[in-house]
Amino acid sequence: MLVLTRKPGEGIIIGDNIKITVIEVKGGGIRIGIDAPAEMKIHRQEVYDRILAENKEATQWNLADLNELSDKLPSRKDKP
Amino acid sequence: MKKIQTRFGEVEYSPEQVLHFPQGLIGFEDLRDFIVMPNEKQGPLFWIQSVEDPEVAFVLTDPTNFFLDYRVVPEKAELQKLAMAEGDDCFALSVVTVHPDRQITLNLAAPVLFAPASNRAMQVILEKTHYQTRTPLPTA
Repeated sequence: MLVLTRKPGEGIIIGDNIKITVIEVKGGGIRIGIDAPAEMKIHRQEVYDRILAENKEATQWNLADLNELSDKLPSRKDKP
Repeated sequence: MKKIQTRFGEVEYSPEQVLHFPQGLIGFEDLRDFIVMPNEKQGPLFWIQSVEDPEVAFVLTDPTNFFLDYRVVPEKAELQKLAMAEGDDCFALSVVTVHPDRQITLNLAAPVLFAPASNRAMQVILEKTHYQTRTPLPTA
């Protein structure tokens, strides 16, 4: 991992089109500004990790449960 | 027709009906091709089985069955990845988690966008959303 020290107002440029600027340091938190192309997805690590954990858990199911639960579910589209 | 082994037994499928995820699902980036399995029971739940890994299958549902106002608008880059033409349909599906206590939750925060015209799909993470990763399924 590359480790750099930056002060507020200083930045980092990654590749051709990503620019990260340290906006301010306040109370143990750091505000970061990111300039990147719109198609480049930027996510908070904890949000991404939560989705990843949920996907892993979502693969753990068995067919008997699914069949039984399907019988009990309402489907509004079936109703007039 | 081709055959694969799954943890639910052997499954036959025709390669042209494969649902392609150009980027995989989050945490499953290596798995690109899935087959849609018709549920044995009537109802809103169905599942997709990885062609590449017998152990990986996801239960999906159309969340508008339960949340009538749920909408996800694909971004331009997503339309390209889904190989969609302008005006093509795009549906937002939810990954379903069946918990050990058999509670069912929907992941409304990371929907699967599905483009029927290209048979492509991708999972997106909604930023700045009030939708939850574990939204309990309303019961009757």
